[in-house]
Amino acid sequence: MSDEEQDERGGIPREPAGSPEPQAVLSELAVLRRRTRSARHAYWGPLVLFGLLSCAAAPLYDSAPPMPRGITVYTATAAAPTILGGSGFNSSPYLGWYWLFALIGGFLLTMFWYRWHGRRAGVQTAARGFLVTGIVLTVAALLVPLLSPLFPPLGWLWLGPGDLWVRGTFAFLIIVAGLWVLAWAERSRALAITAVVYTAAALLASLYNVENILFRLGWNSGPGDMPLTVLPGVLLPAAVLLIAGAAAGRAAFVARRRVQPA
Amino acid sequence: MSGAAPGPAGMSGARPPEPATGDVPHPTNGLDDTVHQRHRLGVLTITAEARRADFGYLRDALGLTPGNLSRHLTVLEEAGLVQVEKGYEGRRPRTWVRITRAGRAALATELSALSELVRRHGPGSGDPGEPA
Repeated sequence: MSDEEQDERGGIPREPAGSPEPQAVLSELAVLRRRTRSARHAYWGPLVLFGLLSCAAAPLYDSAPPMPRGITVYTATAAAPTILGGSGFNSSPYLGWYWLFALIGGFLLTMFWYRWHGRRAGVQTAARGFLVTGIVLTVAALLVPLLSPLFPPLGWLWLGPGDLWVRGTFAFLIIVAGLWVLAWAERSRALAITAVVYTAAALLASLYNVENILFRLGWNSGPGDMPLTVLPGVLLPAAVLLIAGAAAGRAAFVARRRVQPA
Repeated sequence: MSGAAPGPAGMSGARPPEPATGDVPHPTNGLDDTVHQRHRLGVLTITAEARRADFGYLRDALGLTPGNLSRHLTVLEEAGLVQVEKGYEGRRPRTWVRITRAGRAALATELSALSELVRRHGPGSGDPGEPA
């Protein structure tokens, strides 16, 4: 029966109930859904991008100016993006600015990446939620400390959970939120697992001095290596993103080659 | 569509009656002629999986000719189940298809009806099928 004949009769004739047709149709649709999802997936791009941005931030975590002798007074500068830069005790004063621009640029680049990939693959992912989540949280992290002198209740909002940003790792938590939104948009179990692992790594880096784990494992840093001790906390979350991104990118490449005719 | 489907009434009286199904409509009642057509079901499935899908992708994925796909899209668009967006990328015309909320609901109803059919009459359901 041709498609036209089917149309004139308002669809394919019904098979009697009890025939294997519904099962076959459901299986066929499951295959279509799986193929479409596979063609649409492009999350390896943002994983690699934010992994690289995290690695690029590493030098800023151990470039604090030499500590002066005597009494030192630390003052919160209202102009600096405090939450993103952390306490500034060990890190560069530019860390907050770096993350402000890196996050906004990273989220925008991810949006462009998804648009480009969607045009190329022929199916687009609804990735706008990732962009909106990331930008809103980044801007909030910038504005809340600035506005808290005007609206004192806001102070509780960022000073209360100070442990989450004091090490300058709040950017990782913003990436965490974005990853969860992206995992939902991508309907990807692998990305959800990555988000779980990255959340654990980001929380560990935010709430604990990761270098202590390495010290217990036998890493003896010399006096000159002390600045390097902050790096494990930065590089651990970055490594999660880079490894997951590389694996997802390879899987996407293999899947594309399998679909393309020889 | 009547919705009446061959069921236990055609079977021998030795079979025990199905419990509490007398008032429950048969799952075929949930099948919509516009949606149930295989290729249109395919279009809805693909577009429900993405923000929007390209005409060329749908054509290749469903193995249809451009003319056939256009006809199916017209049926779905007239039923309000998809939106067709025509535009240009550079000088190249490009058509994108986006599922509507009504389309998602119709697809969910259809899949639910098909699953219910499989549950009632599929392998392992205890239904021996059509009488010979």
